[in-house]
Amino acid sequence: MIGQTLDHYRILAKIGEGGMGVVYRAHDQMLNRDVALKLLAKGTLERVGRDHLLREAQTASSLSHPNICTIHQVGQTSENFYVVMELIEGQALGDLLTATGLSMSTVTRYGVQIADALAHAHDRGIVHRDLKGQNVMITAEGRVKVLDFGLATRMDRDEISELTLSYSSLESKLVGTLPYMAPEVLRGHTADHLSDLWALGVLLYEAAAGRRPFRGNTGFEVTSAILLEPPAPLPPAVPPGLAAVIQRCLAKERIERYQRASEVRVALESLQGAAVRSQHPGEEARGPRTLVLRGMEHLTVKHRDVLLLVGTNKGAFLLRSSCDRARWDVAGPYFHGQTVYAMAYDGRSGLHRLWVSTNSALWGTFLRSSDDFGRIWTNPLEANLKFPSDSGASLKNIWQICVGRATEPGTLYCGVEPAALFESRDGGESWSLARGLFDHPHRPRWMPGNGGLCLHTIVPDPSRKERMYVAISAAGVYRTEDSGNTWQARNDGVRVMFMPEKFPEFGQCVHKIVLHKSRPERLFLQNHWGLYRSDNRGDSWQDIARGVPSDFGFAMLMHPHDPDCVYILPVESDEFRCTPEGRLRVYRTRNAGGSWEPLDRGLPQKGAYETVLRDAIATDALDPAGIYFGTRSGKLYGSKDEGRNWKKIVDGLPQIVCVRAVVIDIDGSHAAGPRSKTKASAKRKTSQTKRRANRR
Amino acid sequence: MMTILFNIPGPLRAFTDNRSQVGLEIREASDLLSVLQILFAAYPGLRDRVLTEAGSMREHVNIFVANEDVRYSGGLATIIPPGVEVSIVPAISGG
Repeated sequence: MIGQTLDHYRILAKIGEGGMGVVYRAHDQMLNRDVALKLLAKGTLERVGRDHLLREAQTASSLSHPNICTIHQVGQTSENFYVVMELIEGQALGDLLTATGLSMSTVTRYGVQIADALAHAHDRGIVHRDLKGQNVMITAEGRVKVLDFGLATRMDRDEISELTLSYSSLESKLVGTLPYMAPEVLRGHTADHLSDLWALGVLLYEAAAGRRPFRGNTGFEVTSAILLEPPAPLPPAVPPGLAAVIQRCLAKERIERYQRASEVRVALESLQGAAVRSQHPGEEARGPRTLVLRGMEHLTVKHRDVLLLVGTNKGAFLLRSSCDRARWDVAGPYFHGQTVYAMAYDGRSGLHRLWVSTNSALWGTFLRSSDDFGRIWTNPLEANLKFPSDSGASLKNIWQICVGRATEPGTLYCGVEPAALFESRDGGESWSLARGLFDHPHRPRWMPGNGGLCLHTIVPDPSRKERMYVAISAAGVYRTEDSGNTWQARNDGVRVMFMPEKFPEFGQCVHKIVLHKSRPERLFLQNHWGLYRSDNRGDSWQDIARGVPSDFGFAMLMHPHDPDCVYILPVESDEFRCTPEGRLRVYRTRNAGGSWEPLDRGLPQKGAYETVLRDAIATDALDPAGIYFGTRSGKLYGSKDEGRNWKKIVDGLPQIVCVRAVVIDIDGSHAAGPRSKTKASAKRKTSQTKRRANRR
Repeated sequence: MMTILFNIPGPLRAFTDNRSQVGLEIREASDLLSVLQILFAAYPGLRDRVLTEAGSMREHVNIFVANEDVRYSGGLATIIPPGVEVSIVPAISGG
């Protein structure tokens, strides 16, 4: 056949062979694309009948679903009957299975997609009838594609009895099918949607355990196991939730099975929510991973890509662009409906870990992480951050996640409400309350601001590991010189508008502080009214609000390379927290606050009553630097020339609460120490974290 | 021994092996906090989502014993009679 032309399809190469016929890669000369062309074997045609096959194939071609291989055309010549399908580059699930099975999260992800494909087809009256490992393809992106819907031929009773009574070794061309056949089908009933669900159960079992549930050396033995024996016990590594789904699919009594594929999908999705985590080493080598939240495309992130982390009051979004920063892919919302106040990226030690704090009005606040750019997230059983019982406090919100210094790769900090600092020394695995600050004698007199009494900003001094600054609303700036044992209020010169005493020791409603690593003694501060600079580590502050339309604002950003350059987004007042005159303008100083210039090219200058919250501005570290900010109205703007020109990257997001930007270094060339060693230890740590976070 | 049935809301079923209803055997009539602790021991993911670390019920999570909201019947000290159903129900809230 190779080189021949069938209709307008030029046969290029043979890519597979099954019971029904041979599959070729072919070129569609009309549409100039490659397709898969299945040429049905003569025997198939004779057995099933041309008209019947044509009807079934036409019905199957009506299916349109992301997890079902699309049938483009059904055709026949005087000699041949063929089906033209989407060409899928990938591996059959059957070939991905190994003796240990796939990771549980992978099994669940694939299972959700297969169940969704079945649900779609069943709703349209189409039964697969031959679901098995060789009919499920996994693309390079990790998407499942189920092949051959409705194309499987019906076996007649004679064929079944020949197969099942066969004492010879399993060599028939139908052997691929027998282990997936439901008891009722073996008894001669017509395959239907419930027998598809049985086959799905066999497939899930096989994927999870690395072996089949019903085994035997001959067709007879396999058949009798399917009809009479319970499935072999699943290995202990299979979590109970997944095992329960598999067992219910494999109920010999049809009435005890799930009755609809959508029920299987929902059951598997709920396991996904619990993020059953792989304990298998080297999973990546075996197959790609995508967490399939329904309808969600995940990002594929490459070396030197720019990644934006965008937290909103309804979930998190991730955006990716190549380093030209011209076009952005958007993924999300992750954590649908929950408020994401804080996001962070930890690229230390060769990791690529995203951190997110999720806040549900109902179920509380949790820290989650993903090591694969959002495909899998942890879903901890226990809250990661807890106030000790003697404190009498309980966690309301995590406002800030701060990745520690590069020299302390295991160190992370969280700023929370009620105002407190938590720290982790083991890469986020365990957290403890920083008592020195929590027990500060000023605490009883700290006053909650509009957003509650929150510690929202954490600034470790890059030059001295014992020194760190925090900002609390409304308490002001506090500094430690002894790794957090003691803290001093550092607010001298910062004005308080809402108290009779205008320059108290503490009680300031600070909104943001920033510093540049090359000038660690100098800080900039955006206050609730007031812009300030300190040249002496916060010991005293001077007003730098010259040339801004308002010194009220929330967001403040340090330029990544220029220590004299700071960005702010002034808003009109504490009563009218929107941009002055309805003009969206970023202000920049390039002389450390000596003067400020508006940056508005490309930003709306009429009717734009916007608010940019304190963490909703970020910069990448490219040169020229990219600046990004998000508004409460859900618009995300970006500039790839340090603010001279702006473009709207995306509109219509929920209220944007935080934005973070990072340039991805997949090579890990920035990581300290020998690369291989660093990576290995990072990986070990990751799996420990996940195991602990999800222990069931 | 007596059985108590807990009705689990959708968002928490990720932590109960996807069960919407969980039955627990307890020896004698007991207060709500005690039976919750047995439930949490069996399904540890529930604990921090129903109670705060200070041990109080989360503000927007309601617990009903039969049809009565425990906020009006003794809170976590409400006595759970034999055979009753306890429902964990998210309050109407949002933004």
